[in-house]
Amino acid sequence: MADSRTKPGNTPNEPGTSLRDRKKELILSGTLNPIKDLHLGKLALTKFPKSPETWIHRRWVLQQLIQETSLPSFVTKGNLGIIPAERTQQLIREEMEVCGEAAGRYPSNYNAWSHRIWVLQHLAKLDVKILLDELSSTKHWASMHVSDHSGFHYRQFLLKSLVSQTVTDGSVLEQNTLRSEPAIVLPKDEEAVASAEESRVNLPHLLEEEVEFSTDLIDSYPGHETLWCHRRHVFYLQHHLNGRFPHSVVQLSPADNPGGTLSDLHLIPAGPHTSQAMEVDGLSDSSKQGYSQETKRLKRTPAPDSLGLEMEHRFIDQVLSTCRNVEQARFANAYRKWLVTLSQ
Amino acid sequence: MRLYSLSVLYKGDAKAVLLKAAYDVSSFSFFQRSSVQEFMTFTSQLIVERSSKGSRASVKEQEYLCHVYVRNDSLAGVVIADSEYPSRVAFTLLEKVLDEFSKQVDRIDWPVGSPDTIQYAGLDGHLSRYQNPREADPMTKVQAELDETKIILHNTMESLLERGEKLDDLVSKSEVLGIQSKAFYKTARKQNSCCAIM
Repeated sequence: MADSRTKPGNTPNEPGTSLRDRKKELILSGTLNPIKDLHLGKLALTKFPKSPETWIHRRWVLQQLIQETSLPSFVTKGNLGIIPAERTQQLIREEMEVCGEAAGRYPSNYNAWSHRIWVLQHLAKLDVKILLDELSSTKHWASMHVSDHSGFHYRQFLLKSLVSQTVTDGSVLEQNTLRSEPAIVLPKDEEAVASAEESRVNLPHLLEEEVEFSTDLIDSYPGHETLWCHRRHVFYLQHHLNGRFPHSVVQLSPADNPGGTLSDLHLIPAGPHTSQAMEVDGLSDSSKQGYSQETKRLKRTPAPDSLGLEMEHRFIDQVLSTCRNVEQARFANAYRKWLVTLSQ
Repeated sequence: MRLYSLSVLYKGDAKAVLLKAAYDVSSFSFFQRSSVQEFMTFTSQLIVERSSKGSRASVKEQEYLCHVYVRNDSLAGVVIADSEYPSRVAFTLLEKVLDEFSKQVDRIDWPVGSPDTIQYAGLDGHLSRYQNPREADPMTKVQAELDETKIILHNTMESLLERGEKLDDLVSKSEVLGIQSKAFYKTARKQNSCCAIM
């Protein structure tokens, strides 16, 4: 048996290493049922909701599960195009639940939320319906955890993924059904058109809803930086979508900003996120192609109208005139300054 | 965004008397719950004792915020919440509860009352309803008459204490805290644990 202690990353003193390797051996040899292992992990997370090792191991197990069988992870389903198979959907649902519970057990649980993102990227392949479901199902949670930066970052990820997967066509956006994911049967042209019709995502509407959500929360819960930070992201996405800041779009492209967060644009304050191998702060690989197409298109678009900016300034005025919370005033003013730098 | 406890007390000359309390310790692990509850009682009493009549204050301790309202007639209320829970709603809740309490319980009973003798059943319902501030108080966004600038803010429990007084001493002398809770407090202090209660 190979000595696992000599493998990189498996130092003898690292706690739990030999146990983890042992579990991997058992799973690979078919002795330990991966689903059972996931269940045990779920229990462990109730006590240690942050535990990086538990999440890392969980991802390894999930990868084994989706690779292991000859059964497909993805299927074509009528006019829905390519969607995750039922088995995969079940795994995804379970992971969403595990992440949700862990997020509730520890504030701003970055490990739980980034695992959630990983699942969407690697198990769900950023399926649009799933992204939309996640956006609506996490809304209430977000409204009850207004200082949970990771929770709101998740919503930003969902919106960004939706943006990057669609190709603009006037004000209504059509889903790009051509995926890099290998499928059993490629949809015929007719089916592709039908799928596009079915799965139109009204992005401007979604983003507008998110702005309203942000306004609602900022008014109800004064003095939370997370909410203002979230607003910046949403505003940025809205106006990037409408070709308002073509220059800045170039900076958003992952090719230009590898492992990138949006911190280069001072969109987020120096926070707890450090860049990790998982790339959850940047954009997913499957979006790169769509994004550079988007970039080219936007560069051709003429410069912005300032309606969006005007509305934001009015919002800031309203907040400043009615708020009695010192922090709220501070955040409102900082937001104003940020808006000014954007239009320069 | 959570509420952990809601208590009604009477600010006597020497000490604060607990009249009625409701708790939600469901987010704590099973074995911590009774200690947490005891600490919340201890804290509520301490805060009322150290606050003057006719005042409102918010005391921050780790990730908790304790909001206190002591009325001029010595009836007091304390709500212990997390740092997300909007303080405006917390004070609305306190106002409402004390108003209701004073109508249901005779004034003579206040100085000598205890949770066993006091006939007031509204606290659990209020605590549970107010877990979601927007459902409980749809007018949250509307500026209440409450002047937030008059609310005293304490950044730690320590700032409530007299010069030379130590929280550790008060804990060990407390009649409200059981032996297990006192021991738990000592260990938590040593570890500076992120799960420490107070």
